[in-house]
Amino acid sequence: MSYSLKMKMNKVLLLVIVVAVSTVFIIPILMMLLGSLKTQGEVLLLDLSLPSAFRIENYIHVLETGSIMRGYMNSLITTVSSVILILFCGSTAGIIISRRSDRTSSALYYYFIFGLTATFNTVTTYALMLKLNLYGTYFGVIMVFTAINLSFAVLTFSSFVKGVPREIDEAAIVDGSGPFTLIFRILMPILKPVLVTNLIIAAIGVWNNFMVPLYLMNSSAKMTIPLTVFNFYGLYARDWQFVFAALTITILPVVVLYLCMQRYIVEGMTAGAVKG
Amino acid sequence: MNTRKLNRSYPFWMTSPAIIIYTLFFIVPIFASFIYSFTNWNMNSINSPVFNGLDNFRNLFSDGVFFRSLSNTLLFAFTTTILKTVVGLSLAVIVVQKFIGNSFFRTLFYMPSVLSPMIVGLLFTAILKQEGLMNNILNSIGLGQLARDWLGNYGTAMFWIIAIEIWMWAGFSMFIFISGLQAISKDYYEAADMEGASAWLKFRSITLPLLAPSFTVVTTLNITGGLKVFDLVYSLTGGGPGFDTQVLNTYTYRAFGMGLLGKSSASVLILSFVVVLITFALNKMLKSREVDA
Repeated sequence: MSYSLKMKMNKVLLLVIVVAVSTVFIIPILMMLLGSLKTQGEVLLLDLSLPSAFRIENYIHVLETGSIMRGYMNSLITTVSSVILILFCGSTAGIIISRRSDRTSSALYYYFIFGLTATFNTVTTYALMLKLNLYGTYFGVIMVFTAINLSFAVLTFSSFVKGVPREIDEAAIVDGSGPFTLIFRILMPILKPVLVTNLIIAAIGVWNNFMVPLYLMNSSAKMTIPLTVFNFYGLYARDWQFVFAALTITILPVVVLYLCMQRYIVEGMTAGAVKG
Repeated sequence: MNTRKLNRSYPFWMTSPAIIIYTLFFIVPIFASFIYSFTNWNMNSINSPVFNGLDNFRNLFSDGVFFRSLSNTLLFAFTTTILKTVVGLSLAVIVVQKFIGNSFFRTLFYMPSVLSPMIVGLLFTAILKQEGLMNNILNSIGLGQLARDWLGNYGTAMFWIIAIEIWMWAGFSMFIFISGLQAISKDYYEAADMEGASAWLKFRSITLPLLAPSFTVVTTLNITGGLKVFDLVYSLTGGGPGFDTQVLNTYTYRAFGMGLLGKSSASVLILSFVVVLITFALNKMLKSREVDA
């Protein structure tokens, strides 16, 4: 067999393997999408057939039940607030810790890094929330989300700002800019890739998180979307068409974000991982 | 410019929001658990926990369900770590090559790791239940006798929880390996080609040793993730059938639900201890294998 023919055979073999693996990834998603458009009778068969008619009504029904919409809004509130706080606190802390050259700042660096290996204690956090009268409030959940995401933000900001020449800072300082201008007007535009990475990682993490609201939220009026969907599933266990529609609605923003910002997500997750 | 003057442009007080939030809502609860785990703290005595020494830990270690949870957690974490590494590396080796559509496949394989584990759990419930997609496919290809309630007994339930975890995270490991593979200089392979080395020999004596840092990252991240598993188990089996697929985090939540705060806090403490112990041991072991490229 000639060399080039062998190469071609290898390529074909690889393609066959990859396509086979892909079906394993596509089938569950396909089942969900198709199922969300079927009638109850069709969806109960749980197969990969096409729906007889594309019933958009399922989505309308799910949205009209109210709980999903409310969960969506709650997730939006907690995610947006947490992400803003994570970015603000994480960037200032990360930049300052990395730029100052003294013992205290390196101690602080390790203090924050500790959070990457430490296990978040849900039970004592629950008690703390009761003590502070924050149990079942948006504010409490937002604070906890911010706290558990800060380590990663501090780590990435402080390691990336090391790559920015100090001369830029010095020039700005000579020109009379204070710490706020320096961090937010001068450094932040340079650090935009880290900012975007942190934004996406934090947003996806908070949006998907199930455990924190499970422990810290009691009223269904304030539950975020993963918890709402879980309860929805409990109520509609036989109406898979509605469950599938609810699942689709829940993952939609994350998947869209992922497809648009894939480069940032992947680089960020892997860079953060490698540096950690 | 001198350091003192420079440091004034980076005032410490600006780090205080981060320090306060992180300390109060992350560090304080961790330290509190060192105290509360040694008390009879429960929902009825929430403001007046009484020190009871090692009772909670004695209680936990004499509980068969706790042991089951601990061994399930270890089984889950080690099996998924090994398989995510193997599958992730295999996928990376394939899609790192140039062929049409390779970026499509990368995107697809990575996608499950941005989804909520809760959602993935519910999605797979529809596949694995008695009347689910899996049994329907088996029936339609004439393997109906294999059909069963996949989440209804220990062996198959644990198997599927592990398989779904791999489905979710193999793509993540794949991307870490891809960046590791791209960092290896082509010169090594060219030199090996001149010596007439086989593909397998090149893989074993160039690729694998030089990928050691990626292995460290992948295993460390996967083992911690695996030890802390919760959502997926909770949504797929709720720890059942019986207490068969209970892991430490679902055990904790159960004890918490019964109002046993001291006991559940002790259970988290044991989990944190296991995480730290295994991460450190693994890091020591893997770091020593890394070579300078």
